[in-house]
Amino acid sequence: MKKNSIYILMFVLAALLASCNPTPTIDSSMLDSGTISYALPDSLNKHLLSSYLPNPTPTQLNTPVIICAHGYTATTFEWDEFRSYANAKGTFYVSQVLLGGHGRSYADFKKATWEDWQSAITWEYKNLSDLGFKKIYLAGSSTGAPLIINMVKSRFFDQYTSPKGIFLIDPIVVSSNKTITLIGLLGPVLGYSTVELANGEKGHWYVYRPQETLKQLMALIDLTRRDLEDGITLPTGTYMKVYKSEKDETADPISAFMIYKGMKTSDGGKIDVELENSKLHVFTRLKGRDGVTTADTDLQQKVFAEMEAKMKQ
Amino acid sequence: MKKTHLFFVVFLFFTPFPKAQNVDNYELGVGLRFQKTEQLYWENGVGADFTSDFLLHKKIHLKLSYATSRIGSAFLSNAIRQDNYVIGADWRFRSTKDFQIFAGLNTGFFHADMETAQFNVLPHNSMLFSLETGLFYKFKFPLATSLSIGYNLINGDGLTVPGSLFPVFYQLSVFYYIGKK
Repeated sequence: MKKNSIYILMFVLAALLASCNPTPTIDSSMLDSGTISYALPDSLNKHLLSSYLPNPTPTQLNTPVIICAHGYTATTFEWDEFRSYANAKGTFYVSQVLLGGHGRSYADFKKATWEDWQSAITWEYKNLSDLGFKKIYLAGSSTGAPLIINMVKSRFFDQYTSPKGIFLIDPIVVSSNKTITLIGLLGPVLGYSTVELANGEKGHWYVYRPQETLKQLMALIDLTRRDLEDGITLPTGTYMKVYKSEKDETADPISAFMIYKGMKTSDGGKIDVELENSKLHVFTRLKGRDGVTTADTDLQQKVFAEMEAKMKQ
Repeated sequence: MKKTHLFFVVFLFFTPFPKAQNVDNYELGVGLRFQKTEQLYWENGVGADFTSDFLLHKKIHLKLSYATSRIGSAFLSNAIRQDNYVIGADWRFRSTKDFQIFAGLNTGFFHADMETAQFNVLPHNSMLFSLETGLFYKFKFPLATSLSIGYNLINGDGLTVPGSLFPVFYQLSVFYYIGKK
């Protein structure tokens, strides 16, 4: 009987080990391959304002600029439509940061920490502040949001021009998929997880999510939740607004409530939160999605117009 | 919400007692419950544990508890104020020993306080259904303690279940037996 138990235990352990597959099969059409890279100088120069406008004029320095940070596994692609909107309007600049470890190969992604992800935002903010831009705004979608919240919490802005405003689109503080709370335990067995991408999204998002990066994501959002419980105060004069889909299978909508409770303006006031009648995660990005409706487009344009109006004030 | 509270109190606190008083050998423990949810809050409260010979010679224990973040993580912080009303039944292995192992099923009601009307559109009430297993130790004097791990089979999904209802929780309970015969 004891022998049988040992055999069963050995079988279970072998099955667990066999299920560990730390290296997924990657083909060259995937972002994960590194063949498609958003981190090449040409791409970075095209997306970062500090690169494509290195010698701004006094007029340009008085024009609002918004640094847009994308989400976990995404790329600058996530903010392309807002960039197009800004180009058409001509009233503000968009600087699209590529988070550290993102838009590169699977191997680069796997070894990056959330602090590496964040470093791209702080680097661009510092550059724009040093260049003398006076009206700097930030926008974070999904994981871009807790990265920005952490910059407020860590008092990053004390050394630079304070941001005029922060917009958070479908911020994640709590994941809708609660299995991620067990990533510390399941991670080594899991190895990585896979996501299904629409045809229009292929090459712009990672298909594979290494468990190491899921642990980083969990560490970031757990830290953000605890920081919000303690309370975070915005820099003097900084405005914040959260836009959140009421149904979201990626970033749980409870995230918006946690941010509402945890963030305060410098004079102790509440921040603005708007819950949207949408089921899309990062509803401001429609390019590449299947089944986009007129309501989706109207919502996207409404929010872009609101952000523009706020920056023009 | 108030009706639910009332129903829960009436059902849980008054129903078991007449039965208990009609049996010769029963144990009723009341005490404190400390609950930590994995990657979320401390939620503390009170609980009760009842068994008797008619429950398969004390192999089955019936229990109820109320745990809330109001006297846990949400006390003097911005954590969400949420309540767990739970009833359940355990099967006790080694039920005649001081050191016991148990496994059981729980159900109940979960409520998260959204505070403002704006957020009431988000799911904030849910049925609870969980599996739980753990260790129980009965001291010589009328005190006992248990340490357990549980899994909420219903947990937040971003659509219909409250987002602050997480799957894995740990509990430490301390009971004082007031009705032991």
